Amino acid sequence: MSDRPDAYALLTKIIELSTAPLPIKDKLDQMLQAIKEAFGAEQTLLLRREKIVENGFLWRLASEKKPFWAGEESSLPQEYVHPKEKEMLRPPFACFPLFDKETLQGTLYIGFPQNRRVSPEEMDLLALITKEMGEAIQISHLNQRVGQASSELTALHEMGKAATSTLKLQELLESIVKTGLRILQAQGGVLRVEDRTTKELKVHWSSGDYSKHPLDEKIAKRVLMSQTPFLLNHSGKDNPMRSILCVPLRSRERVLGTLAFYDKETDPSRFDERDFQLLLTMANQMSFAIENALTHHQTSQLAWENEKRVRELTILWELSKALLTTVNFDHIVQMTLTAITIGAGLGFNRALLFMVNEKTGMLGGTTAVGPDNAEEAGRIWATLSKEKGRLSDLIGRLDFSKDENSALNNLVKEIRIPLEIKDCILSKTVLEGRSFNIRFPQSEGAWVQTACERGCQLGSEIGCHVGKHLSRDPVVYSFATVPLWGKGKVIGVIVVDNLYNQNPITDEDVQILTMFSSQAGLAIENAILYRNLEEVHQRLKETQTFLLHQEKMAALGELSSTVAHEIRNPLVSIGGFARRLYRSVPDEAPEKRYTQTIMIEVSRLERILSDLLDYTHKESLTFGEVDLREIFEESFSMVSQDLHNGDVKLLKEYPEVIPKVKGDQRQLTQVFSNLFDNAYEAMKGKGTLSLRVHPVSKNGSLFVRIEVEDTGNGIDPENLHNIFNPFYSTKESGLGLGLPLVYKIIASHRGQIEVDNRPGEGVTFIITLPAATQEEKKQTSA
Amino acid sequence: MKKILVVDDEESIRFLYTEELEEDGFSVEAAKNGEEALEKVSVFKPDLITLDIKMPGMDGIETLKRIREVDRKLPIIMCSAYGEYKQDLTTWASDAYIVKCADLTELKTTIRRLLGLS
Repeated sequence: MSDRPDAYALLTKIIELSTAPLPIKDKLDQMLQAIKEAFGAEQTLLLRREKIVENGFLWRLASEKKPFWAGEESSLPQEYVHPKEKEMLRPPFACFPLFDKETLQGTLYIGFPQNRRVSPEEMDLLALITKEMGEAIQISHLNQRVGQASSELTALHEMGKAATSTLKLQELLESIVKTGLRILQAQGGVLRVEDRTTKELKVHWSSGDYSKHPLDEKIAKRVLMSQTPFLLNHSGKDNPMRSILCVPLRSRERVLGTLAFYDKETDPSRFDERDFQLLLTMANQMSFAIENALTHHQTSQLAWENEKRVRELTILWELSKALLTTVNFDHIVQMTLTAITIGAGLGFNRALLFMVNEKTGMLGGTTAVGPDNAEEAGRIWATLSKEKGRLSDLIGRLDFSKDENSALNNLVKEIRIPLEIKDCILSKTVLEGRSFNIRFPQSEGAWVQTACERGCQLGSEIGCHVGKHLSRDPVVYSFATVPLWGKGKVIGVIVVDNLYNQNPITDEDVQILTMFSSQAGLAIENAILYRNLEEVHQRLKETQTFLLHQEKMAALGELSSTVAHEIRNPLVSIGGFARRLYRSVPDEAPEKRYTQTIMIEVSRLERILSDLLDYTHKESLTFGEVDLREIFEESFSMVSQDLHNGDVKLLKEYPEVIPKVKGDQRQLTQVFSNLFDNAYEAMKGKGTLSLRVHPVSKNGSLFVRIEVEDTGNGIDPENLHNIFNPFYSTKESGLGLGLPLVYKIIASHRGQIEVDNRPGEGVTFIITLPAATQEEKKQTSA
Repeated sequence: MKKILVVDDEESIRFLYTEELEEDGFSVEAAKNGEEALEKVSVFKPDLITLDIKMPGMDGIETLKRIREVDRKLPIIMCSAYGEYKQDLTTWASDAYIVKCADLTELKTTIRRLLGLS
């Protein structure tokens, strides 16, 4: 092998390598190898600039930009050789500084075997090759820069695309962080946006756990306040965050937030200047997109809120309209609760109404609307969702009757809560006149843990009754209470919950419920007033009827007393003289019967006259303690003699002691003689008359119950409702004043009369009179 | 023979009472109103009076008062066509009160009782 190289072949090889598609490191290695082989060199090295010892021989050589040949020790200026260079610089060798334009890239060092001499031509050839190597390096640097610029451009393009592809804030922020992670090769990223109203810096999107690190927020706040980007590269592997890059998101005059990336995925994990610049560019470009998205977000938020408000107002209007359709208390209450629970209305699962009773100082369960269990809830919602039409029509069409018997309704109707139990959430709602939204009734430290007198865990009886019995999981049972306002006072409480779908009850829900309740409260109060008015009206009507009746009776009484006087005197003389005639006529003469007929008829007329006078007579009562036994005996003795004939059995069933009653002896005798008379007459001479007497206790007072039972034919049901009306008689004789008189007297004694009619079998009159004994007791105790 | 004064504005009643009571062995005079009754009390000096309450002019109650002014012991039976005055019986200071009836048994029993006849 000649030690003179083939210059042409070497140059061709070098140029080939220079343009080959190889990484720069491989190119240079192969070039050095080619030189070594072509020159038969012992060693070829390309010393990088940083490896060149400062102020050493090679450094000095590079500053002169000249090649150097050292054939022997003497040709090397020893005073310039740095001790570190001594090992390497052993002649014969040649050195060539290598430049990229004006920048020193390094030095090509070729060590030759002893005695090898290098000709000036060979030096020129090597200088040429060195230049070519410098160019290869330069081209490779250029390529690298172009590649970087292109990838940066691609990243920015991607980001720009992301920025314009969506107006949805969350999507945009997500794509910004994700693109950033990819471009910067970071392990995590956090994007924060400042809330304009609260000035709070909130994490809007994050990747990795970095947003939880306390340092992250501190850095973000600092960057936001100072509007200055922040770069920190930690050393050491123990550090939780090894590299941090955080920039402000600035738009026009405002800082929107911060964008931070963590831990570059390279080793060592460091963000360099290029990353820093790239992120700044990215942040600047993205800020406008973020601001637009924020504005869009706020606008659509406003629009949504407006729409919601309009919808709520529509619902309120519809519900109020429905409430105007009736003044019936039960209907209004049902409508109100239905409106609260219906999906197209306020949409709560269940609604319970408690009304304040001012007299007793209690809150009483009135009505509840809501499914008894989850299955029923699902069924109802499915049916309702098919219903079409306006809400007000929908509510108007609902059939309320089926709710009346629901388990919930029955349960609620039994709840009574004394308002004085101030720990109870329902009492509290009434007393404080405000609503409560109880989200986590058992949360620690919450007031609801204070137990009510019944030991309720929720601090209220509603908890005892509703929470315990009906909530599947009382721990998360949540409900809201709203006062029901009448005019200037709380008249009740509405309780709502979402037991079945577990939807959280928001403060807004409670707010709209409060608005609706104020409407419903007035409607319910009106209904109550109307109901009272109706009651008063009814009583007034009854009083009017009674007065009219009284007036009629008074007029009748006046008339009859006049008439009676005029008639009775002639009757007395007719009857009197008839009796005289009867006595004077011999028994066998036909006149005997004639006069007898006159006598009997006159007696009948006289009796009718007495009845009439008795009924119309305004006699004041002389009350005393009356022995009923005496009254019964006297009454029996007054029954018309002709009725006693026949086969009538008399059954008397008295207790050992009959309590005395307070009453007018004469009038009570009239009562029973009338009843006995009727009984005998009904049985037509055959049957059983039973007289039963029992003391009974009612509402803590003592009464005597008297039953007069016959085995006649009973009363024709058609006539039953008329038996106590004056002048209504089915008998052949009599004015029809017997039972009306009985009724009148019993009523004036504060007693009661009932009729147990068994057509075809008989009739029982049941009279209940207050006993006199308890009156006595009171008097003695007083 | 005991003397009875029958006071009644009705002619037929005066007639019936007179017939019946005379038949029972009483000496009977009749007066058709209060004024006449007062005259007859002093002239006839009856042992007993039956006095109708409702009469034109001076009624039975007024007549009773006047008689009591001069004689507080004379038995007087108040008679009425109906039972409206029952309550005030004692305040009138009469001796009995009966409701007029075609059957004179009650009247006669009362008269005999007041006159001490068995």
